[in-house]
Amino acid sequence: MTECQPAAKDVAGPAAASAGPKIIHRLAVGLTVVVFPLIWVGGLVTTYDAGMAVPDWPTTYGWNMFAYPLSTWLSGPFDLMVEHSHRLLGSMAGLVAIALLIVAYRYDGRPWFVGWCVLLLLAVIAQGILGGVRVLFDERVIAKVHGCVGPAFFAMAAVTATMASSWWRRGAWQQVATGAGGRKRTVAVISSVLLAIVFLQLVLGAQLRHLTGWETHRQFTALTHAHLGTAGLLAVGVVVVALLAWLLGVERSVRRPAMALVGLVLVQLALGGGTWIVNYALPWQELNKMLASYTIHAKGFVESLIITAHMATGSLILAVTAVTVARAWRCRWVALRGSP
Amino acid sequence: MKAAGTERLRAAWRSVVRSLLILATCILGQGCRQQEDAFPPNKVFAKRLELQQGVSVESAHKEVQLLLRALFGTPNQPRWPAAIAAADGQTPQSLVSLTRLERAAGAVRSNEEGVHWGLYREHCVACHGVAGNGLGPAAALLNPYPRDFQMGVFKWKRTPRGEKPTRDDLHRVLVRGVPGTAMPSFLHVDREDREALVDYTIYLAVRGEYERRLLQWAVTEVDWEGGEHLLPRQLLDAASGGEGAVAVESLDDELLRPLQQILQQWRRAEEDPLLLAVGDAPLPFSQDQEKALLSGAELFQGTVVGCAFCHGPDGKGAAQVNNFDDWTRDYTVMAGINPLDAEQLAPLLEAGALKPRPAMPRNLTWGIYRGGDELVDLMARITHGIDGTPMPSAPLQPQNPQGLNVEQLGDLVRFVRSLAGRDQGAGKGDWEPERGSMP
Ligand code: HEC
Ligand code: HEC
Repeated sequence: MTECQPAAKDVAGPAAASAGPKIIHRLAVGLTVVVFPLIWVGGLVTTYDAGMAVPDWPTTYGWNMFAYPLSTWLSGPFDLMVEHSHRLLGSMAGLVAIALLIVAYRYDGRPWFVGWCVLLLLAVIAQGILGGVRVLFDERVIAKVHGCVGPAFFAMAAVTATMASSWWRRGAWQQVATGAGGRKRTVAVISSVLLAIVFLQLVLGAQLRHLTGWETHRQFTALTHAHLGTAGLLAVGVVVVALLAWLLGVERSVRRPAMALVGLVLVQLALGGGTWIVNYALPWQELNKMLASYTIHAKGFVESLIITAHMATGSLILAVTAVTVARAWRCRWVALRGSP
Repeated sequence: MKAAGTERLRAAWRSVVRSLLILATCILGQGCRQQEDAFPPNKVFAKRLELQQGVSVESAHKEVQLLLRALFGTPNQPRWPAAIAAADGQTPQSLVSLTRLERAAGAVRSNEEGVHWGLYREHCVACHGVAGNGLGPAAALLNPYPRDFQMGVFKWKRTPRGEKPTRDDLHRVLVRGVPGTAMPSFLHVDREDREALVDYTIYLAVRGEYERRLLQWAVTEVDWEGGEHLLPRQLLDAASGGEGAVAVESLDDELLRPLQQILQQWRRAEEDPLLLAVGDAPLPFSQDQEKALLSGAELFQGTVVGCAFCHGPDGKGAAQVNNFDDWTRDYTVMAGINPLDAEQLAPLLEAGALKPRPAMPRNLTWGIYRGGDELVDLMARITHGIDGTPMPSAPLQPQNPQGLNVEQLGDLVRFVRSLAGRDQGAGKGDWEPERGSMP
């Protein structure tokens, strides 16, 4: 909707020269930087089943969240610390989102961007409430939704930073070659499909992670196979996008995240295998002495790290894919319009 | 030829579509499905009885569930009724404590800093299932399958074959985990929490075994066609009206007897005269090492104890590959079904049973012992066998004049360790289980 603004408005006019856009960009990058650890800690919350370590919300054991004594929080039980840190980081993300909206409203000449920032703020509020409702009602379904919206928000923040960058404002025209519109479209469309698959994969992962115990083993097996199948699809998908970006000679700014995705997905495949092993062990232990001698340690440090890293890398892949998509469409847009 | 190919293709297609359907219902359905606060009934055993007896077990099944609910409560609200507790001796060392059961039951939650509730659902349910039937969501993808507590049979214990484990046995499994399987070590979980989990495991095992006994009795002894019931009328009305506690005194002795027997078995385990303790383990190579190993090898390969018959003369474990464990035999062989016959199996798999897998003897040359690698653990494996698996207990003197004497037993233990190159000098040092004050 907002994309249909006349191109001329995209340039922030005289304000572009001032410090405003810079601050906006920094805030957007800052938001992304805050949300990534938030995602890690959120992952730890689930890994340690710490979601219910604090029974109330928005208070923590009756305390105002921000006044909860530092000593109890840091030296208290681990799961309590994790859950409380998650809440504090979440509030911080909210504050940055508010600041971003204010600054964008004052200094950004693009109404659609201001609108987007409103959306961003609403999203972070909604996510906070979801988290709270999850605690108050102890609903696994809500925990799942909370777990899927988190990465989506992270991706939104990353895209915001892209849209606030000077690269975006300048309009990526340096490399606009005439007649390249069709190719750009290919990359943009295919990476958009990839984005949808990445998100589907995240949703599947959340299903596997938030078990109630009432699922049948058939359901879980089907889910696991789907998660594996989608992983294979994604592995092929990122290679295709990277190759296309390379072969079709799209801009470096699109090519680079597309290449990074290949590396990230490789890491993610390894982490995924590791996550299975430290949760459920491999069923072929008679093949290999190392497998046969491994004992899972529930809530062990290495175990938790691998599981949480798998989840955080998933979010990172979503964010990088989203940035690729945003940039690819931006290039296409600029190529079509011919000028910023 | 061509027809067979198309048929296979069609079958593959059908299975893909079915998986997708399951997937869709499970993603979409979760939002709407209310989780009932009830233990899932033992459908596999009911199906087995149905096939075995050729009768419908529907009504028996229903009444058994009513009684179980009245006696044992629900996943959120466990019960250990007074009358059972009385039968249970009501001593301070009572088999399980309701307080600990409540800690372990229900949803994951906390009421004060650092105190956890809902431990079973937090730590165990993904594999062992809500009712402890070993059919948790992840079960089908694990090898070995997670333990089905409902048969009341456990492998890694120091009591004789056929007996229940002690609390210490169960606790030791929780601390140590089972290497090479999905069963984790819960070393990082508070001791107090582990104790509650031991209680809950016993609770599920007692409840599950009682369910089986009741169901069997109800199917074979009650004349359902003739209008008979398992439960007395007023109990049926009370229970179906959602009424809470059933006055246990009003129940037939006959109904409660199996429960009392099960509880007795559990209590007996703690005082079993044949329960092995750390002190019973043979000392590593007290005398001539070479002689001991030779004697051990001879025993291992000989016919008296016949270890090599399953584990192979070299101990690599591949000699005997078409045996099944008792959990699998229960819904196959015991019901006259060939575990390898897909067609016969179909109704049981439909009821939720897992695909039978052969029980493989261990490759002893790796020296990885799932039941613990203390000398006393190996000694327990050999003298008591491994419950629920084909691995028998070795015949021993003086009960069996042809059996092993104490010295030979020691030689065999040492030889087994030597198969994995673990023969040099003393063992790892005996690990004293975390015994201790039980509140
Ligand atoms: C990741 C899956 C998994 C989880 C989680 C798990 N288990 Fe297990 N458990 C298994 C498997 C697999 C076995 C079978 C091991 C074997 O056959 O040697 C098993 C076996 C057992 C046994 C039987 C040991 C014996 O002597 O036969 C007990 C008792 C047990 N688990 C209790 C628990 C409890 C209590 C919890 C939660 C605190 C738990 N398990 C969590 C997979 C799991
Ligand atoms: C009927 C077949 C059979 C015979 C005879 C047999 N075993 Fe086993 N053994 C097994 C099976 C099956 C297992 C695996 C049990 C499991 O983990 O479910 C096993 C496991 C073991 C283990 C591993 C225990 C652990 O903690 O992991 C040891 C040690 C062992 N056997 C030693 C022996 C010795 C010594 C003898 C002779 C006294 C013997 N077995 C005789 C079938 C047999």
